[in-house]
Amino acid sequence: MENTVLTESGKTCLQGLLKVWLDFDLSLNKVPIIQRLEQNRLSVEDYQKLLLNLRQQVVEGSRWISRSASSFDRHYSDVRSTVIHHATEEHRDYLLLEADYVAAGGLLTEIQSAKKNIGSEALHGFLMYRSSQPNPVDLIGAMWIIEGLGNKMASRWAKLISQQFTFEKSATSFMEYHGNNDENHMRELYQLIDRVATSTKNVDDIIRTSKVVAKLYQLQLEEIDNG
Amino acid sequence: MDVYINSTGHYLPGDAVGNESIEDILGLIHGKKSRLKNKILKSNGIVQRHYAINEQQETKISNSDMAATAGIDCINNSYLSPAKIQMLSCATSQGDMILPGFGSMVQAALNLSEIELHTSHGICSSSMMALKVAVNNIKCEDSDNALVVASELTSRLFKHSRYEQLDSNEVDFNAEFLRWMLSDGAGAILLENRPRAMATSIKIDWITSFSHANVLPVCMSVGRAKNEEDKTWQDYQSYADAEKAGALMLRQDVRLLEHIVAIGVQGFLKLIAQGKIIPSKIDHVLCHFSSKYFKSKIFDMLDTASISIPESKWYTNLYQRGNTGCAAIFIMLDEFIKTHDLKAGETIFCMVPESGRFNCAYMHLTVAG
Repeated sequence: MENTVLTESGKTCLQGLLKVWLDFDLSLNKVPIIQRLEQNRLSVEDYQKLLLNLRQQVVEGSRWISRSASSFDRHYSDVRSTVIHHATEEHRDYLLLEADYVAAGGLLTEIQSAKKNIGSEALHGFLMYRSSQPNPVDLIGAMWIIEGLGNKMASRWAKLISQQFTFEKSATSFMEYHGNNDENHMRELYQLIDRVATSTKNVDDIIRTSKVVAKLYQLQLEEIDNG
Repeated sequence: MDVYINSTGHYLPGDAVGNESIEDILGLIHGKKSRLKNKILKSNGIVQRHYAINEQQETKISNSDMAATAGIDCINNSYLSPAKIQMLSCATSQGDMILPGFGSMVQAALNLSEIELHTSHGICSSSMMALKVAVNNIKCEDSDNALVVASELTSRLFKHSRYEQLDSNEVDFNAEFLRWMLSDGAGAILLENRPRAMATSIKIDWITSFSHANVLPVCMSVGRAKNEEDKTWQDYQSYADAEKAGALMLRQDVRLLEHIVAIGVQGFLKLIAQGKIIPSKIDHVLCHFSSKYFKSKIFDMLDTASISIPESKWYTNLYQRGNTGCAAIFIMLDEFIKTHDLKAGETIFCMVPESGRFNCAYMHLTVAG
């Protein structure tokens, strides 16, 4: 990958973020439903539950991104433009996810009426709170984790699911979508890191938020089996 | 108490075997040439290696004798009499005997008297674990010196006749993969609690490892058949039954293998965060990657994190000496020290990612003045 983070503090931030991501990636292997996915022991019901539980986070995702855009003042208008663009691109992703759920044998009304699980509640609550703060640059850390997971879903999980199941229609379009758009999103993210990781405080805040989001995302996945 | 590497040695059995001759040594499975061989060799980049078995698949030198030969090479390069050696710490993935420990057999082969003994059992990182035990032994002043030896004789697992025992009669990719990756050899390191003015002395700053066996499944193994969850080789009615079921094959779950890059880099980032390494201050990198394929993946990930270390600082002899498992890092270190004009203060960073169940070991060295 072409290296787009150029400033020294941007590089420090990136190292910290990559470490948080790799820690998160490893800890995902402890989540029972992900263990089953990784070890080819996922049932169709599991896959349906996975989509059903991810939907709320995806629906709410574009909301906190939009909210954070409105919290950036004129000194960050360029960041605001990028974030708005990002929200525009992703705010209807949940429709893909719903279609996948139906293709995997689920009922549309079921996924549409499902409530957030405890982890999704916590994740969404935290993200809405942070995005309501003035100039919430730390949310770059949240985007880093969520984009990273999008990439993992696209490159690994979608492949594993396709190996395990045969559906009449594609039932992994949501996961695969991230793979097709990932490169642009990551480039935008790298540019954002360079733009906002300009002080030790900002770097620390970004890394801290990435850790919180990683932990709450993990909780969201753990809660799938508790529903 | 500081600990120094004051001598190194190695032993590679027989002549170097080129890619075209591998099946002359290991034999053809069911008389047929492998369809996977060239693909895997192209990916790992190894062009020659050594085997301790001959064309009739007879063992020409035992694992403990290879270890002892490397140990003697190391002692012969040193300023120490064998009679003065106080500790022997050995590593292998498979000794000649199941019991006693590999170290006992190596001690006997070396004829070392009344030493403190340690055997480390595992795969690639077991040599680093054996080294760490020896370093700590010197640090806490139980010993003034220690000989550390790592040796592997994996070719015995790759004889065509082993694959031909399988009831299913078909060799799956995971059981054949390592046949084209691993080979035999031994490496040795002599540690002392003081540097030697007339030799290249290298101070061991620290050794540390991060194991992830609790979060990831078994990736490289001997002892369990394909698709078996719990039943292992000793749980069969007879050893013959275990072999027929494929429980004694050396397997690599290649699907899991890609985790190795992530855990290697994760540990590297952890060491940076702990202040143990500053990438720009590393002069030489010796990484035991099993394959050219993984080297490029590691580079990509380090680049992504903006912590890349220029390729000119990386040293490997994998392509010429083969992948000798836990012995590889010692064989690499030996050849590196002997072929480089090292200056006082230069730093060497060693890394051994093990795919067994994902243990990654790291070591930092500084050339003594």
